[in-house]
Amino acid sequence: MNEPSAVATSSSLLYAAREEIYPRKVKGTFRRLKWAALIVLLGLYYGAPWLRWDRGAGAPDQALLVDMPGRRAYFFMIEIWPQEVYYLTGLLILAAIGLFLITALAGRVWCGFTCPQTVWTDLFMWVERLIEGDRPARMALDRAPLSPAKALKRTAKHLAWLGLAFATGGAWIMYFADAPTLLREFFVGRASAEVYGFTALFTATTYVLAGFAREQVCIYMCPWPRIQGAMFDEHSLIVTYEDWRGEPRGGAKHGQSFEGRGHCVDCGLCVQVCPTGVDIRQGLQMACIGCALCVDACNSIMPRFGLPKNLIAYDSIANQAARMKGDPPRVRWLRPRTVAYTAILLVVGAAMAAGLVGRTRAEVHVIADRAPLFVRLSDGDLRNGYTVKILNMERADKEFRLEVAGISGATLTIPGFVAEERTAAALPVKADSVGTFRVFVRARPDRLEGRAREIVFAATDESDGRAYRRANVFNGP
Amino acid sequence: MANVEKDTVTGTDTTGHQWDGIKELNNPLPRWWLYVLYATIVWSVGYWVVYPAWPSLSSYTKGVLGYSSRAEMEKDVAAARKAQESWRAKLAAAPIAEIVKDKDLLVYATAGGKAVFAENCQPCHGAGGAGRPGGYPVLADDDWLWGGAPEEILATVRFGVRSGHKDARASEMPRFGEQLKADEIRVLADHVLSLSGKGAKSDTGVKLFEENCIACHGDDGKGNKDLGTPNLADGIWLLGGTRETIAAQIATPRHGVMPAWEGRLDPVALKMVAAYIHALGGGK
Amino acid sequence: MAFSHEKIETNVVLLSILILVTISVGGLVQMVPLATMDQTIEKVQGMRPYSPLELLGRNIYVREGCYLCHSQMVRPFRDEVERYGHYSLAAESLYDHPFQWGSKRTGPDLARVGGKYSNDWHALHMANPRAVVPESIMPAYSFMARRELRADDAAEHLKALRTVGVPYTEDDIANALADLKTQAGAGEGDIRPFTERYPKAPMGDFDGDPKRITELDALIAYLQVLGTLVDFTTFRPELARR
Repeated sequence: MNEPSAVATSSSLLYAAREEIYPRKVKGTFRRLKWAALIVLLGLYYGAPWLRWDRGAGAPDQALLVDMPGRRAYFFMIEIWPQEVYYLTGLLILAAIGLFLITALAGRVWCGFTCPQTVWTDLFMWVERLIEGDRPARMALDRAPLSPAKALKRTAKHLAWLGLAFATGGAWIMYFADAPTLLREFFVGRASAEVYGFTALFTATTYVLAGFAREQVCIYMCPWPRIQGAMFDEHSLIVTYEDWRGEPRGGAKHGQSFEGRGHCVDCGLCVQVCPTGVDIRQGLQMACIGCALCVDACNSIMPRFGLPKNLIAYDSIANQAARMKGDPPRVRWLRPRTVAYTAILLVVGAAMAAGLVGRTRAEVHVIADRAPLFVRLSDGDLRNGYTVKILNMERADKEFRLEVAGISGATLTIPGFVAEERTAAALPVKADSVGTFRVFVRARPDRLEGRAREIVFAATDESDGRAYRRANVFNGP
Repeated sequence: MANVEKDTVTGTDTTGHQWDGIKELNNPLPRWWLYVLYATIVWSVGYWVVYPAWPSLSSYTKGVLGYSSRAEMEKDVAAARKAQESWRAKLAAAPIAEIVKDKDLLVYATAGGKAVFAENCQPCHGAGGAGRPGGYPVLADDDWLWGGAPEEILATVRFGVRSGHKDARASEMPRFGEQLKADEIRVLADHVLSLSGKGAKSDTGVKLFEENCIACHGDDGKGNKDLGTPNLADGIWLLGGTRETIAAQIATPRHGVMPAWEGRLDPVALKMVAAYIHALGGGK
Repeated sequence: MAFSHEKIETNVVLLSILILVTISVGGLVQMVPLATMDQTIEKVQGMRPYSPLELLGRNIYVREGCYLCHSQMVRPFRDEVERYGHYSLAAESLYDHPFQWGSKRTGPDLARVGGKYSNDWHALHMANPRAVVPESIMPAYSFMARRELRADDAAEHLKALRTVGVPYTEDDIANALADLKTQAGAGEGDIRPFTERYPKAPMGDFDGDPKRITELDALIAYLQVLGTLVDFTTFRPELARR
């Protein structure tokens, strides 16, 4: 397909300016799908921070919240502590494998329908079309000299873009603070420097990337297009031109016969509607984001000539080969690749779900004193000091009974809580916080064997009787 | 490089090379990318002006902002000190006996005391008050020469032991080597050990002990914190618990010296370190 | 396009010159800052070269690759200064060949570990780290307490360092082995010359075995001197702010 036969003098520049792309408006199935995806995704993005979830007094009531100063993440009924950040890892793994699976099945749907860059660029292009008109009008406007009308249109467009960008930046920060409160504070100048800073940053990046950079992001900045070769196989759906049907192409008049020539009438509509400016008739290429608007465009032309639709098709290479031969096309969803991805998704998802459901809402950690390793008391007993931390991850104050095991006759004292030698101590830990306690364990030297001996701390939640254990060492001479 | 192959499908030049039969298109790089590179170069020049950057022959350019990472750290530490002000005021106002009973004050006092201890007390008393051989007492046990109540600990820290301060703790054990014979001292050392269950009791020992020791060390040898005399009946020994070391101490007693910290540490630091020592486990 | 990289690639002289220029830039970046040594090395009091025992201990530290997990550089950040003590000064690594800077903190930074823990603690920690720090992943170095320290070449080590600029005197070198034994508690005679040569040197039987001088003795002696030398009461930070 790429047999080079033309040789010419080198005229390639090292750098070339970006050529402006003027995508034309198009109607069709895939355009409607794109709109649906945009509305759902943007609706979620802008709306989700406003969802409420009651967690009791004193707790944030926002359903989706990442509380950085408070070191907590909230997702409806799930509360994540920093120690549990591995759930984020799990989410990222699920997202990555899910992306690989979707790509293996349906091609670049991420790029064409759901990627934030695509969604916002699509939105910005729609605004541009609204204000400046469709493709011919925009091209003319660009060529025209500056006039009051042009200045007005341009200003309106950029203001609208900035407004949308600001809303985007503003929505981002809502995930990190209580939305209603932040909204009020923002507009009276009471929000923090970080809030204004991040809003400004996301406003700027949205404005620049969706307003100006557009397809440059896909072609030069994003790694995903360049991995596609490894993500597809011959059964993945791609946007493809049926060159065996379309070629040789040429202009056509209404009513003419299509014997001995291809169905492509060279109207160029597929190129005009493409948001990245590719000519899909050259075949699958990196810059084609798989939005299938060219499919819609060609399908609006083919019926006018009485020709079958899907000259540009959302199809797989295997199916194209089959259609070329006249064989019935098959859709192969179950392939080793897709089965493997699905299996990984299920396993990781199950592990995360099991982890979430089975996780304890309390933990015990023990740090033994290093200096002194042990203390000899006046009656000959040995004493070790420990710092015991009990994490209470529930939203209710709790009491824990602390005991030690592993050394017979060992007793403990806890400054501030247990003054005399006891075998168990009642320790209160406030809701959603860590209780830190200095614990002194005392034992008779004849009950110990060897220099370092294992001791087990057990903290029992008085409300439900669950015990949390942690092993440590008791040192002697 | 005159003749370059053009790809028929796209019309773009190829690089002119091929790797295992695979050829590559030679697309131009976007110009905006080049301008971003220029912008970063301009930015870096600005950086040189503003921050420390280039070495000169014997020094370096310091930058107009006068930035220094060490100065930034000093600012951070000063800000932290400022944030501690309210607690320091409370600690200054409360008497030490109250501090060790108040849970919240104690948290801050022990945290601050730990830092003071590490800087000043640790070299002699060891980390965590573990003590050092050669006469540096263990502060984490429940045996106190000069009393383990919070006020008593604070007084010891403030005025020291044999430090020369007018309120310093001081005691002096007579040199029994000049009064008693060597074998008498040996028997006495054995008797002392027997008070904690280790040595041999004897009538001579009991008699010698009564005549020489109980005046300062008490009838039962349990010591006297007002006089600073150690408890001889527990298992804790400052200078060694063998018959030889006890005999040596009886014959030619060694007296340790602890500096007075009043004046060297501010009043809040003194209270914090006293609270920390009290909380090491042996405070009374 | 007029200029092509091919012009450089096919002209040996031009290629050599440009290679030289490029490499020189890298070389200059490493060499020129040496001219600012006086500004970089702070004026401090108390700094001295390692004593023979400490030096052999340091060699063991490097030999065993302790730096792979433990850095020796307290950085000027509030949290580090509050945990470890004063930030490390360039002057404190003056006689370290090579320096042990880094920020790899699999284990804690050791720049100021001197005097923080007892000799006993270090001996136990080396024999079995988990006996003192239950969650430690440090390997055990129990063999060090059994291996006799190879000290007959102590003077040679001092001489070697002298050639790279460490100011050992003839006296230091002549007394190297004797000083080593004195510091490990096995010396004879007056210890004062030793303490005059090496002030603030930790002394005594470090590994708990007074009969032999082992590698553990040397290592603990080295660890106990780290960060203790400079007198910070006389250090003036405003002169060394950077």
